Amino acid sequence: MPVWQRIYEEINDPNFVLICAAEDTGGEAAAGPIFDAANPTYIQVVDENHLISSAFNFVNVPSAAWIDETGRIVRIDEGTYSMIHSFGEGEQAISFGTDVYEPALKDWVAKGADSEHVQSPETVANNIRQHSSDQQKADAAFRLGNLFRMHGQEAKADEYWAMARALNPDSVNFIRQNLTLTEEGSAGETFREMMGEYISAGRDYYRPLDIKA
Amino acid sequence: MAEAFMAYPELRNPFDAKPIHPEGSATVLYQGKSITLSSVGQGDGLLIDPSDLTQINGFVLKAQGACFEDLCIPMTDDVLIEQDGKQWFSLTAFAALLGQPFVADHEAGVWSFAEIPAKRENMMLNAQAPDFEVTDRKGSVIRMADLKGKKALIVTWSSW
Repeated sequence: MPVWQRIYEEINDPNFVLICAAEDTGGEAAAGPIFDAANPTYIQVVDENHLISSAFNFVNVPSAAWIDETGRIVRIDEGTYSMIHSFGEGEQAISFGTDVYEPALKDWVAKGADSEHVQSPETVANNIRQHSSDQQKADAAFRLGNLFRMHGQEAKADEYWAMARALNPDSVNFIRQNLTLTEEGSAGETFREMMGEYISAGRDYYRPLDIKA
Repeated sequence: MAEAFMAYPELRNPFDAKPIHPEGSATVLYQGKSITLSSVGQGDGLLIDPSDLTQINGFVLKAQGACFEDLCIPMTDDVLIEQDGKQWFSLTAFAALLGQPFVADHEAGVWSFAEIPAKRENMMLNAQAPDFEVTDRKGSVIRMADLKGKKALIVTWSSW
């Protein structure tokens, strides 16, 4: 989150709006402290029902949409990393992210439609995930499960969250959000097994980043 | 077992069991709203008072049908229903007409509706940003329409 605050301050354009939405059923208790640590001045949303992901057919975080002054989406559904993250050493070392997204974003804010990073309506429409009726139904099931969880009905919450995962197996959001409520959390062995199956099935959770370095 | 990582045991079930709505009521979930209906009809589907339709999904009943902006859906006998001299609107039959998926928990009396496909056509075909409505941490309502005239970057993240 601090990195997005830095980028927002560097862009410093009154005609640019940054909305960061935490897809977090844990609500303010889970996401609030992380927001606060960044001292953000951009718009912060704690999106307990994953409404933003649902609206744009996102299946993982971080994902993003760029929207121009007319309300047209000009880029969508890319892994929205503002830097390269590296962990571990030697054979255990892993890294992910990119350092080309931030300059591309700044170029678009400065140049608008003249930016080389603006995609045509046809390209964007092709890049929006096509969600089946079952996948849309999964959003309804997830919200129903969340309502039951908020009313202390854990068994029913689990039932409808399991339904959501089954109806939309592409959603990493659903997989990991559910796992936060388990003993081992969202990045344990179960997660690694599920992601192994996910990748083996040929699924992708971001569009390939189509920005040249 | 490996040490828990990105787990939130304190959030596993932080809520007390409490009723979703008063007895005899029903709850509708749509676009992040949770609407309690004190009066519903009897039947397999969800029969609502026609006057509740607009607060649920923005549709308005007119002579030509149920209308939202330029879209009007003509009414059919399975949508507008007479029951003991009272007229009801079947929200579930209407959803079927719209191709709108939903999930119901009949025991609890809760119906959760997905987005109406016709409301998303402009995004899927023309890359126009979809309507959405969320509330920020300051309590302000943020709608897509409010962003017109500015460039916007909408980024998702999570604590998990």
